[in-house]
Amino acid sequence: MAMPTLSPRLRQGRRGLLYLALLGGGLIWLYPFLWALGSSLKSTDGFFSGGLNPIPSEFHWSNYSEAWTQADFSRFFVNTVLFAMGTVVVTLLATSMAGYVLARTDFPGKKIWLGLVGVTLFLPHGYTIIPVFDLIQRLHLLNTLWSVVIVQSAGGMVFGTFLFMGYFTTIDRGLEDAARVDGANFHQIFWRIMLPLSGPMLATVGLFACITAWNSFFIPLVFTLSRPELHTLSVGMFNFIGQNSTAWTLVCAGSVITLLPIVLIFVVLQRFFINGLAGAVKQ
Amino acid sequence: MSLLDTRERRRTPATAPPVAARNGLWQRIRAAKWSYVYLAPMAVLLLAFVIYPIFASFGYTFYRWNGIGSPGEYVGLDNFRQILHDGIFWGAVKHTFLYAFVLVPVQLLLALALALVLNNPKLKFALFFRTVYFIPVVTSAAVVGVVIQLMLANFGDSAGSLLAKTGVTNGHIDWLGDPNTALAVIIAIGIWHTLGYNLVYFLAGLQTIPAELYEAAKLDGCGPVQSFFRITIPMLRQVGVVIVVLAFIGSFQVFDLVQVLTGGGPYFATEVVNTYIYHLAFGGAAGAAAQPDIGLASAASFLYGLLLILFSALQVLALRRISRRRTAANQ
Repeated sequence: MAMPTLSPRLRQGRRGLLYLALLGGGLIWLYPFLWALGSSLKSTDGFFSGGLNPIPSEFHWSNYSEAWTQADFSRFFVNTVLFAMGTVVVTLLATSMAGYVLARTDFPGKKIWLGLVGVTLFLPHGYTIIPVFDLIQRLHLLNTLWSVVIVQSAGGMVFGTFLFMGYFTTIDRGLEDAARVDGANFHQIFWRIMLPLSGPMLATVGLFACITAWNSFFIPLVFTLSRPELHTLSVGMFNFIGQNSTAWTLVCAGSVITLLPIVLIFVVLQRFFINGLAGAVKQ
Repeated sequence: MSLLDTRERRRTPATAPPVAARNGLWQRIRAAKWSYVYLAPMAVLLLAFVIYPIFASFGYTFYRWNGIGSPGEYVGLDNFRQILHDGIFWGAVKHTFLYAFVLVPVQLLLALALALVLNNPKLKFALFFRTVYFIPVVTSAAVVGVVIQLMLANFGDSAGSLLAKTGVTNGHIDWLGDPNTALAVIIAIGIWHTLGYNLVYFLAGLQTIPAELYEAAKLDGCGPVQSFFRITIPMLRQVGVVIVVLAFIGSFQVFDLVQVLTGGGPYFATEVVNTYIYHLAFGGAAGAAAQPDIGLASAASFLYGLLLILFSALQVLALRRISRRRTAANQ
């Protein structure tokens, strides 16, 4: 049965409707963010009278300076940046090296590790926070940013290793052989040839680690519970609400400070993020 | 600091390339020593913080322990007995499963529909729309939860009272404070927050389907509905299995949204397993044990872990079987 052919004008109209629907849907989809952005500039009275209207009647920029200084969001921001950067560095180093040897070298026990990585990828975790807490406590790392970085990075090991493994298998073996003939040793091959070649994958895994760390809540919450000066943005926000249940406009300013940087990073670098995700599922 | 070690050693002259090592395991291990060194950071982190804890949590389950110092009083299987008889635990399991079993199908259907629209090569600005619908994924569930909580509070005051006046609803609705609506609101937010992942996964899956298949189907007289069920769905099966498994794993771990939005309340109506465990181990829930009890929390996590592993295994087996049978039938 052939499709009834639509007149060009009708087809155009249908396409126009589709764009309208996608645009309207997108507006609703992002509404909470637009509302937070608008409300972060409202006065306290304007916040309550404004309801769901995101547009402020007057712009109170002072909400931001207040959140930044008095509500300590500057400290939370610095902590989050340090935490995210630390996680990115640890994750990239550990997973690229592991991915390389698992993809390109042969050693006794390799199959066991491949199996372990494969199984852990599908193993639910997160319910194991208590032994991790105990371990960190015994290592005397409790209530340090280090503990948060280590535990957060450990959670991303399997995914990163898996992605790097896939990437390194696709690189031409002749390249390594040629380098070896030229006298390059194991380290030179990895650090000077393979790692620089894996730029896109470094970007993907790094961005993934950065976004996950930036948004992480459970891990920083548990490991810095009693040290407010180590709180990250999401934990600091949570505590701020617990203590100041009425400063809604400051809360909105705080959420913009938390959300905006990572959304911008994502929008600029999304190619790497989305390609990595898509590649991982296709493999 | 194995990185520093390798950097340091890099300056020493390279060892001779490994000769075909047939003289036993030890020699092969020695020949591959740098492979082990490179594997080590990942291996240590994985073993210490991911694999070991899975088994170690079992050890705490026999003690009553508040988490300070060494585990205290040995209580045998008491903790398991207490958890198994705790209605709140089973309520939390029920809520978590309800969350997952409503969220996953709804989210996957919505994501697939959107992916089909965005995958149309004639659609302009597809990349823009993909970005828009993906953005919630990269935002913190904890912070988004706070924002939506504020919106709902305002909504309750303005629009809610309007609804009440016009007689649509029976009085003021406190969406997150009402045990009947709180979980539904959390599920809706959950669907919104992570839909982008599945959108991208489905788009990736759709792009692996060769366009010639659709052209051939069109020549054979297949309409769009037919080619969807005869080509798109079968070709998506492999990716689909992974998508379903990942979606369930993610949903079973729900914590941030619940902790921020309701803390498990009101009256435990939204308590999920992870918030239940958190409250047992670190305190803080109204009505829960005032004294943190790591042993009890471990028993709960251990039981839940077993439940999840069992479910994951069953799920993978079932999905594999379905995909194999259908592929065989198609050939």
